Amino acid sequence: MDLGRVKAIVKKDLREMFKSKYILSAVIGMPILFAIFIPLSTLYPLVAIDSNEFEGGDEFPDYFKDLFSQVIPNWDSTGAQGQILVIMSYIMYIVVLLIPIILPAVTASETIIGEKERKTMEALLASPLSEAELVTGKILSSFIPSVAGTAFAAIIYSLITNIMIYPFTNSLLFLDALSLVFLFVIAPLLSILSVELMILISTRVTSVRDAYQLGSLVVLPLMMLIIGIVVSYFFISVIALIGAVAILLTLCAIFFKIATNVFDRERAIVKLV
Amino acid sequence: MLAVETKNLTKMFHKLKAVDGLNLEIKEAEIYSLLGPNGSGKTTTVRMLTGLLRPTIGGARVLGLDISDNLQEIRSRVGHLTETPALYERLTVRQNLDFFAKLYKVPETEIKPRIEEIVDLFELPEKLDEPAGTLSKGMKQKVAIARAMFHEPELIFLDEPTASLSPESAKVIREQIIKLVKKEKRTFFICTHNLSEAERLSSRVGIINHGRLVAQGSPGELREMRKDETVTVFRFSTWESNTKEFFADMKIEIVEQNQEQKYVSVIIKDIEKQTPSIINSLTKNNFQLVEVKHEFPTLERIYLEFVELEGVPREENNMEES
Repeated sequence: MDLGRVKAIVKKDLREMFKSKYILSAVIGMPILFAIFIPLSTLYPLVAIDSNEFEGGDEFPDYFKDLFSQVIPNWDSTGAQGQILVIMSYIMYIVVLLIPIILPAVTASETIIGEKERKTMEALLASPLSEAELVTGKILSSFIPSVAGTAFAAIIYSLITNIMIYPFTNSLLFLDALSLVFLFVIAPLLSILSVELMILISTRVTSVRDAYQLGSLVVLPLMMLIIGIVVSYFFISVIALIGAVAILLTLCAIFFKIATNVFDRERAIVKLV
Repeated sequence: MLAVETKNLTKMFHKLKAVDGLNLEIKEAEIYSLLGPNGSGKTTTVRMLTGLLRPTIGGARVLGLDISDNLQEIRSRVGHLTETPALYERLTVRQNLDFFAKLYKVPETEIKPRIEEIVDLFELPEKLDEPAGTLSKGMKQKVAIARAMFHEPELIFLDEPTASLSPESAKVIREQIIKLVKKEKRTFFICTHNLSEAERLSSRVGIINHGRLVAQGSPGELREMRKDETVTVFRFSTWESNTKEFFADMKIEIVEQNQEQKYVSVIIKDIEKQTPSIINSLTKNNFQLVEVKHEFPTLERIYLEFVELEGVPREENNMEES
């Protein structure tokens, strides 16, 4: 694989993407929405309640206690309001992790189906690019803005959440080891998987608009997957998390192979030109 | 070495034979034009030669390399102008050229000077930093041709290169093609509908219809094949009522007569021998002859005859010319 060619595709795609107002607003707007609007609208109303007036209700089950006492050293002394806020913060963090699934659906539509829509694919296929170079380039050009957007959102989210929750926990919640694993391992893998699925969709649609619609169908199973991974960690073990990462890696490799077949010239000239 | 050599090159899409047993031999530094109606198999032929489609039967060698197992090398050594300019419209002309230069591994130090050089050749310098989307159709086509030639390929496939160009721009392109053939021994394979251009530019032309090569040769050779169809026009200052009888008596076939325009078009079997004697007879018989003109068959007429002989061109199909 010639990395120079891959780099050329990535540079070209990013240049094109950032000249599109739609893509630019999605790449900037979505992280802002997920990182600022969601925590403020869900956590802040709970934070705003006077601690003395807060009614905690029943105690959390033991496995919650076991799990969160590892995350918050003073879990037992944290009041019910603080405990609910901690749990909700983790749940909302999962929402932030939807960015690496949703953003590539937008960026990949632009870079792959956009080539088909604007009839630039044939010139690309007529060049000496190999199928693997083309797929790698396309994955990276969709992956970079999505991972950057996710990292930006995660940092802002962590900042806002920590500021809101610190008075209740007296310790910083994010970015802890778990959220870092999600940010730097799970999110990039989901991003890659999302782009690979969009490549498969590209053979079935003729316009970027159609791709957005069909792309939302890709997002759904991936959302289920991320929820499954989170649940596997919370309720089973670290080994389950490692297993989930291994499954993600395998899926990425399988779909990479399928995606390179999509760019087989003979097939691509019929489906993508 | 031949630049292109095909042997029984055939491509089938299900039951449709898009290209049917094509045998071509194109020499280096030749300009070869493939003429044919829409859906005749031109684009499929080029797509096979550039490794975008695999032949169903037969094979080909491009620059001496077998197309079945040297695709990447072939792609890196040929240039390909597709039917549409296919530029990245949000990028500038410079960025478009720079991107393809990198795909074709043009050395980094050569890219900038070569961009400057090629935009000068195609008269585009003031548009270099403009987004490609703001250019006119003709300018986009020029940029696309410049892109196909940018990595200095030995063989260049051009699909309808001057279709959307103004006469002046088409002239610039033709001049560049001729210059590259003469000075740098490049080979051009041109698919076109523009018959007068093919006639002016090409050393040889091939006429393809229904995927089959129905005629091939230099424009002169093709004309020679149809020399018996040369029409001779006699124009008079006054029209005589016995003109038709005069030519009938001489056993000369009249193709057309026009009393208003005062001319008659005939087919003379032996032009060299018979024309002077016909002129003599006309003068002796007091016909007021003003002009005698031989109309040799044009490439357009020859092309239309071959295409019509082969039947009505089939409908454009979505695998072809798309």
